Amino acid sequence: MNIITGLLVATIRMSTPLMLGALGEVFVERTGVMNIAIEGIFLMGAWGGFVGAYLTGKLWMGLLFAMIVGILCGAVYGYFTVKLKQHQIVTGVAINILTVGLGLFLYQILFGIPLLPLTVEPLKDIAIPFLSDIPIIGSALFNQNILTYLAVVLIALGYWVLFKTPLGLIIRSTGENPEAVDVAGINVERIRFLAVLGSSALDGLAGAFYSIGFLGLYTNNIIGGRGWIAFAICFLGNWDPLGILIGSLIFGFAEGLSVTLLTSNFKLIPNEFLIALPYILTIVATIARRKFNVPAFLGKPYIKERG
Amino acid sequence: MEKNNQHNNKNIKRELSLKKQEDYFLLNLLPIFSVLLGLLLSGLMMLLLGHNPLTVYSNMLNYAFRDIYNIADIFAKATPLILTGLAFGFAFRASLFNIGAQGQFYIGAVMAVGFALKLGSMPLLLTLFICFLMSMVGGSIWAAFIGYVKARFNANEFLVSMMLTYVAIAVMNFLLGGFLKETKGEYPQTDVIPDSGWLPSLIPHTRLHWGFVLALLVALIAYLILWKTSLGYKIRMVGYNRDAARYAGINVEQIFVIVFFISGAFAGIAGFTEVNGMQHMLIESFNPLIGAEGIGIAILGGAHPLGIVISAFLFGALKVGGNLVVQTSRIPASIIGIMEGLVILSVVFSYFIRNRLIILNSKKKLAVQERKDL
Amino acid sequence: MVEFKINNDYITLKNITKYFPGTIANDHINFTLARGEVLALFGENGAGKTTLMSILYGLYQPDKGEIYIKGKLIRIRSPQDAMKYGVGMIHQHFTLVPVHTVAENIILGTESYILKYLDIEKRIKKIKEIGKKYGLEVDPNAFVGQLPVGMQQRVEIIKALYRNAQILIMDEPTSVLTAQETSKLFNFIRDFRSKGYSVIFISHKLNEVMEIADRITVLRDGKIVGNVLRKEATEKKLTKMMIGRDLMIPGKNNILRTNQREILKIENLTIMGDRKSKMVDDLSFNVKEGEIFGIAGVSGNGQEELAQAICGLRKVKSGRIVLNKKEITNSNALSIIEKGVGYIPADRHKEGLVLDMSIEENLLLKNHSDSSFVNYGFLDRKKMKDKAKRLMENFEIKAASPQSKAMTLSGGNQQKVAVAREVSIGSNALIAVQPTRGLDLGAIDYVHKTLLREKKEGKAILLISTEFSEIMALSDRIGVMYRGKLLKIILREDAKIDEIGMLMAGITEG
Repeated sequence: MNIITGLLVATIRMSTPLMLGALGEVFVERTGVMNIAIEGIFLMGAWGGFVGAYLTGKLWMGLLFAMIVGILCGAVYGYFTVKLKQHQIVTGVAINILTVGLGLFLYQILFGIPLLPLTVEPLKDIAIPFLSDIPIIGSALFNQNILTYLAVVLIALGYWVLFKTPLGLIIRSTGENPEAVDVAGINVERIRFLAVLGSSALDGLAGAFYSIGFLGLYTNNIIGGRGWIAFAICFLGNWDPLGILIGSLIFGFAEGLSVTLLTSNFKLIPNEFLIALPYILTIVATIARRKFNVPAFLGKPYIKERG
Repeated sequence: MEKNNQHNNKNIKRELSLKKQEDYFLLNLLPIFSVLLGLLLSGLMMLLLGHNPLTVYSNMLNYAFRDIYNIADIFAKATPLILTGLAFGFAFRASLFNIGAQGQFYIGAVMAVGFALKLGSMPLLLTLFICFLMSMVGGSIWAAFIGYVKARFNANEFLVSMMLTYVAIAVMNFLLGGFLKETKGEYPQTDVIPDSGWLPSLIPHTRLHWGFVLALLVALIAYLILWKTSLGYKIRMVGYNRDAARYAGINVEQIFVIVFFISGAFAGIAGFTEVNGMQHMLIESFNPLIGAEGIGIAILGGAHPLGIVISAFLFGALKVGGNLVVQTSRIPASIIGIMEGLVILSVVFSYFIRNRLIILNSKKKLAVQERKDL
Repeated sequence: MVEFKINNDYITLKNITKYFPGTIANDHINFTLARGEVLALFGENGAGKTTLMSILYGLYQPDKGEIYIKGKLIRIRSPQDAMKYGVGMIHQHFTLVPVHTVAENIILGTESYILKYLDIEKRIKKIKEIGKKYGLEVDPNAFVGQLPVGMQQRVEIIKALYRNAQILIMDEPTSVLTAQETSKLFNFIRDFRSKGYSVIFISHKLNEVMEIADRITVLRDGKIVGNVLRKEATEKKLTKMMIGRDLMIPGKNNILRTNQREILKIENLTIMGDRKSKMVDDLSFNVKEGEIFGIAGVSGNGQEELAQAICGLRKVKSGRIVLNKKEITNSNALSIIEKGVGYIPADRHKEGLVLDMSIEENLLLKNHSDSSFVNYGFLDRKKMKDKAKRLMENFEIKAASPQSKAMTLSGGNQQKVAVAREVSIGSNALIAVQPTRGLDLGAIDYVHKTLLREKKEGKAILLISTEFSEIMALSDRIGVMYRGKLLKIILREDAKIDEIGMLMAGITEG
């Protein structure tokens, strides 16, 4: 029994940052822009979260700072890709390379090179009374930290905004046919830039989860490609917040499973296969693209052909 | 009267076309500008730590070129960068984006180390040849898959290549955990490969190996393919203008597969040079940024083999000089990554500047022409 | 010349001028619109009609000139300003989101509280009311992408009406409609006008303009060349104003009737377009040795699809294409190139040239796999250089050097490169589509002389052009294409300008 609960707890916990990152990516890709800097912004968010929490002693300051750092990074990415209309992939790669060095560099500016890594007390779990006592699933669903609850709330909110409000209609239309939005008198660049900022804020928050929500420290490898998983989840989830939820749980499960199996010496399936499974799934999904609703203008800069 | 006008028009046009050639020369100086800009911005970061950037940079230069060992190290470090740079750059010439060079590199490395270890004691040249061949094949097949799904299913090559990289990492880690694992069984790495798999040293008592010469050769081959062969002609056409290529009778989808195949081959060979030339073994997650750095180098080098070689050299010097400065002062090692990232961002920025200049120029010319017409 | 008075009635555009790189799209235009009026803006493709209306709709800013409403000077800086003044525009290419519903498309951008719950049912009610009021019923919950084109246009119209448009600008609205849909549209326009609103109807189709307009303003080369009331207008008058240019004297073409060996044969050809409609409909004709067969017609009637099919770039649904008695239907592009068919494209920047490559490489663009220039996969640069040099001399291509990039050439010289290449490839047949578009007089003359010279060499030449003066000057036989069919095939000496003009507009005799 304990193993299953443990697995469920780990699943939901590990899927939290994926949910945040993928949700942000959904919004920005729905406007037609891919946030390729996602992995780098996750990392900077982890840095920001740790630094903020360590210096002020308050975890929520860390989260706030992580979001701000994310927004700053997003502003750079957005400026290059939306305003200057430069190439999204190249700009994103540049930022990803930059942040690897930058995170560590800024960490060392602040803290030097400590003998033992500095730590922060990570986010505590908040048990929702009564519900968290439900056997098996209780602690998995209702005894998580605040970011997890936030993530779920944001997904619900995101779904509502995207499909039930005029703003959501504008966002979706921008990615499907920016000209239609332009002709209606709405500034396409502004929508896209704001979407980049919004997704970057969420990415920052997601990164912070790894540093202050879970591990309580910051290292250079703390993200380890999980920004890209969030990126892939957006695709696999068909650019739909509910799909994101399911996708994040699947990947979170895979990660939780591999950790559980690793510690339990139970080797039926090679660990690496489990780790690779989500990526393989994404490839298969990408090939079967016809069933998926890729925003028609994803990745293409909107250039007004006018003077 | 009419004759006069026509004559004027001809003169204007000749002026305009000559002007354009001059502009292109100026624009080609932009990479130098962006490197300087990137280094300038990095210098600012150094100031933050209280280091004098001028001192740091002059130290870097001094250390990097201080003795033959270091200079040789620059070329050694540049070797895989040339190859992954070529991988991205070659595909870029067809307007394709091979983001998966990291994964193709790992597959090539796995093939190289696997054959080196298992071939036991075969003659040096034969072992090297087989490792080289298999690394190339591994990388190219890994990449050709991307080209194929793009051609056949119009799949998003960015996502597929990114995902394949992680699958490659998983494959590598899996093998490192079992089949290729070192006999000691302690760490996720292989044994050191037997001598028959070692690429000979190019300059004694340095780390520079013949892989460097191989990389230069590959760069030359890339150049020859692109500009001297029928295939390269087609590839460039597809890259510049896919519609015109179709009108010229080219099977564009076939070109996709071929380009990814070749691009992956380059990245796979990088795996060979690192394993058989530098590391002589395979360690988990080694050279994790070689693919991304290759992208940066390719952009900085204008996706041209010569530019790529020079840019790789630059990055190599950055690494060597940077490492030495880091060891001898209190500047953190991460400054190297920052320099690399800022240089690449500056290059992107310089492209924007260049496009602006072109547009401004053409507007100026229209105004000039109008004034002369009146 | 009567001094242009600012019309206090409704809308006045005064002295509107707009420059684009290399051309003057609108040249000091004075334009008025009254209430309750259907005004047709008439002219050929590229005359400047869309640009002018885009300025009125706030999509472009004029370089000179002002806009007045009821005598008051106003600024229209964006479509939102235009909509504020009651101006709505239905573009030639729909600006709709295919994966969204009709209702979602219509209400896009109209809500002031963007984060409030969108009660779509209420909006749907309003949409249905509008539909009923104007006879433009459409299912608000249908997905736009699945609607037929005529319905999509209705959505565009309702979009404007939903925003309380009092003036509707329609840009070539009937180019995508069937005859029935056109007549429904005209009923709507009349109904709209009767309610006191106005319509600006941009078109190049003479018969429709005559049917629906109250007044007709004619544009040519960016200038207004005529403004007539419907009752004073005749088809002949309008055609003359639209075309205007002095026709080249037919004597240019030395008739050379070699023995009518058939080179290119098109038999019952049917080609489907991208929108699942028949772009070419059971077409048959042939082109003989040493002959220029001209196909006249307004663009969009299937000519491009026909040319693409002959060159192997588009599959045909049924029918045959035969070259020198060998079937080439649905062959691939390279084999058709190898069989000696040259293609001078309409859009030289898109299809004809690779601007970033050198002139030499452009001249040899289609020889990439040609064994005379390729040895064991390697390009024989010397042979290529020689050939390029020869072509540049023969075709008088003026450039700094053969290594200069094609983008440094003037438009005329660029077209010469394309022409030189295709003539050299087209040993049997040449397809020329709009070969002189955007060229100055000297370059046009050059291209024409080249085509005539090749005709003398005995090649079969298919000339497709919307400039019918060009067709008249060069062709031996002329066919007029309309909605995928060849309406008539005439010998040039029998051709009458008026008749062809009307055929191009779809007006057949009787």
